[in-house]
Amino acid sequence: MSVTGGNNTVSDEKTALRRILKISKWEIRRFAGTMDKGLIPIVAALFILLVVAMGFANSSGIHLEDNVYTVFTDSDESIKIIGFDSRFVIYKVPSGYFSQHPQYLLDPQYRDAFDLIVSGDTVTTSGTDRGNAALLAFERDYSRYKIAFYNRQKDLYAAYPVWIDEKEVESVIDFTATQMGRAAFSYSNPYRVPRPANIIEIPLPSEEIEVPVEELRRYLIADEGSDPTISRYTDILKSGDLDVIPYIVPSQMSASLPFDTIVLVFVFIFPLYFTSQFFMMSIMNERIDRRGEILLSTPVSPWMIIAGKALPYLAMMSLIAVALILYIRADLIIFLPLFPVILFFLSAALLIGMIARSFKELSFISIFFSTVASSYIFFPAIFANIHVISQISPLTLIIYQIQGDGFTAEEYLYSTIIFYLVSLVIFWFAVKNYNGEKLFMQHKILTALVEFVDGVISKRYVNTSLVFVAICMIPFVFLMQLMLLVLLFNFPMPLSLIMIMLSAALVEELFKSVGIYALFLKRPDYMTWKNLAIGAFAVAVGFLLGEKLLLFATLAEISESVFGAVMFSSLQVLWLPLILHFVTTLICGSVVKVCGLRLYILGIIAAGVVHTLYNLYFVLGVFG
Amino acid sequence: MKINSRNCRLVAKKEFKGLINEKTIVLALLLQLFIAMFSSFLLVGLASMYNPDAMSKYSKMKYPIAYAGETSHLYVKLMEDPNLIVYPMELSPAVSALSERQLAAVVWVPRNMEETMNPMKVTIYLIENDIQSGIVSAKLKSVLTDYETELRDARSDRLTAMPVEMRMPATNPAGDFYEFVYGVLIPLLVFMPAIISGALIIDMITEESQNKTLETLMSTPVSFTDMVWGKILAAFLLVPLQAGTWMILLILNGIYIGGFLEILMHISIVAFILILIAATFAMRYRERTNAQFMFSIATVVVLVFALSIPMNSGNIIVRLATGSIGAEHMIVLLPMLAVAMGLSYFVTMYSSRLAQKL
Repeated sequence: MSVTGGNNTVSDEKTALRRILKISKWEIRRFAGTMDKGLIPIVAALFILLVVAMGFANSSGIHLEDNVYTVFTDSDESIKIIGFDSRFVIYKVPSGYFSQHPQYLLDPQYRDAFDLIVSGDTVTTSGTDRGNAALLAFERDYSRYKIAFYNRQKDLYAAYPVWIDEKEVESVIDFTATQMGRAAFSYSNPYRVPRPANIIEIPLPSEEIEVPVEELRRYLIADEGSDPTISRYTDILKSGDLDVIPYIVPSQMSASLPFDTIVLVFVFIFPLYFTSQFFMMSIMNERIDRRGEILLSTPVSPWMIIAGKALPYLAMMSLIAVALILYIRADLIIFLPLFPVILFFLSAALLIGMIARSFKELSFISIFFSTVASSYIFFPAIFANIHVISQISPLTLIIYQIQGDGFTAEEYLYSTIIFYLVSLVIFWFAVKNYNGEKLFMQHKILTALVEFVDGVISKRYVNTSLVFVAICMIPFVFLMQLMLLVLLFNFPMPLSLIMIMLSAALVEELFKSVGIYALFLKRPDYMTWKNLAIGAFAVAVGFLLGEKLLLFATLAEISESVFGAVMFSSLQVLWLPLILHFVTTLICGSVVKVCGLRLYILGIIAAGVVHTLYNLYFVLGVFG
Repeated sequence: MKINSRNCRLVAKKEFKGLINEKTIVLALLLQLFIAMFSSFLLVGLASMYNPDAMSKYSKMKYPIAYAGETSHLYVKLMEDPNLIVYPMELSPAVSALSERQLAAVVWVPRNMEETMNPMKVTIYLIENDIQSGIVSAKLKSVLTDYETELRDARSDRLTAMPVEMRMPATNPAGDFYEFVYGVLIPLLVFMPAIISGALIIDMITEESQNKTLETLMSTPVSFTDMVWGKILAAFLLVPLQAGTWMILLILNGIYIGGFLEILMHISIVAFILILIAATFAMRYRERTNAQFMFSIATVVVLVFALSIPMNSGNIIVRLATGSIGAEHMIVLLPMLAVAMGLSYFVTMYSSRLAQKL
């Protein structure tokens, strides 16, 4: 079939699409072929067992925290409060026991043998950490008991005389004023009478409670929850009632630490990660069987092969995500923040599948990756509703949505762009390196990664490539630095700043110099002093460009804080950071040039120190 | 079928050497430990942030708030709180001051309903997405709950019955942290090595057949059963090593862990059972994807089942860590050992049967 000029691109696109779909079809057939035929009945049986197991767990409860606390009680009433709670081992004696045996209340030797002692209506604790936790558990049970009691009182306004309407106010001062870390706690002088610079008239909220009393009761009862040993793990999945609770009573104020968001990691993140393993294996198998070679010898280009192979898994993971969302009866919009996570897992699976030397290595790298990825996704989400830092995690958006608050397009961009960009860059690197030479090499992981970088640097336009590689490194730098921020920001203030500053500088220097390092490793003859200097300049230009682009697009909020300032060089002056990037890259490259590849790490440290000094001087003005 | 223990040791040694030669594995483990360390740092810091009183430094911390609207006993109660400094203000200036961060919160009471049949409506303004708001909100909560109790007592003649009264000392919200560490973090970190080793044994066994090195190995005096048991040994030994390191790190972070050795004992036997299950799948399918897939589902099923049984190993580990169990934890070892022995016998028989087919 002959194609004339104008239609060329259209038909090219068509063939490309047709080829990708064809490879997808092969991949599905291959996948079905890999899976043992005898597997289906066993999988079905296991799934039935799983449903049975879940039913069993539902009826008998999760017995993980059983019998952790001991209670010694002479009060029948206390049994009403904690009798159902399997966390407590209850030793019950007839009432009045402690007036005959006062040593249990007075002598520490007797007293501290139990976490809690309930004598009549008085609860005492041993004062140990476990005793305190037991007391807290008792208090929760007690308030649950009281709430259940009051919720059923005929006169609800006598049972609950105070109703609270919580309103949130946006802070007009940016985050440079009250810093994360210690500064967030303190007011310079709480005794100074507040005098707002600008008084903005706000409409007076209504003086009455406009909701009918039985409606309020309905909310209260819905909020009670069921078996706490199970609801502890499942409550987080409950979508907020479609209509948000308008008023709360004091005991409902300030939710406890949302550590339990870890449940969301198990529900959403792990199944997706798990499915990405199939893709990883498929890539690894191509390398073991050397079947990949056959496809490579056809006119199909690498990007089509990868796209075609990834497509079925993308579809599979999307379907699983949707199924999970439907299963917990949440809003389908949750799929939006999950999608970049899916892409991220797929790209990581591709990369790991391409570089692992053995199954064991594959397992370990992927376990390592999943730990890092889930920490990155989980830990910021702890701060959901508390601090803006939480928004770097897509999981926070899911929490918002489940709470019924929803999220804006801006928030979406902010918390997902790094995931999108990182996945994109990894895919691109993989495409560039998807060839016989690279697929069948057996290098150590780090060497393999450097080989990949080298694979992207063109033979002729080295410096243009370096600019490009530097731009591509930016999302990784941001990813790592945001992670460091999350990990380090709750150390005491001066220490956290110093640690973040140093580690951020080291991360930046590492990624900045990786292109230069790859050239030293693979093309030592090319790396003359002159070419090193030009290359360093190219890296500096690329880095600056990428940094500005990404900062401009998104991370304004974090970049405006002191932490941001040391992590990402400031936006105002362009030539200063350009010189910084050039000098530090040159330092690192020179160390390698003079001392050899083995002392690369020394070069990074030297460059990192210079970078830190620069930050101290220009950003924080320490020496000035 | 006899197992040659010398051959097993040889295979195990070879596997260990392989693990160490591929330095990435050591690296991956180290980095994982690093993350565990930081995550517990983070959590400890977080707990102290939520409960600033726990750190004496913060107990003198004072938060300026504004009170707007009709005066009430709530105003008096807020004034009495040592952590709050209350400024009576008009609503609009107060909210403006709040958004300029001159205040930590604004309380607005439109009308004093204390003496009436009607509810008191209180509007509270806080800064959104702010750690400090969380702390102030906790302070306000305690004042408001007190106030609620006071008003409820005044209205008690309208209640048909009264709940049981309990008096207890003030609680410490760090208790949440306690249950997270002992109820989630420790079981998770301790069980992870067991699951990793299960995955590892699959890699070790399927690698031999997928790389076609099995035939070479079979031509040596090492029998198929020896090989399987050698690999099981290698995967098994990693478990106490890893779990122990996790726990030592947690201890270094100031988290108390009772019964260190006992926990290692329990997790080792759990791991042994999981490894045997995994080895069975690996021998059955001799292909990584299938075996890992089946093993993962089977693990979920086994874990969900196990957790629903009282006195399961997870519960025993939690209680050992919190120091709330005596020697009775040994009872659990018996049925677990029985399961492990049954599975061991099965794995030995199954592997020798397979060896004949090969």
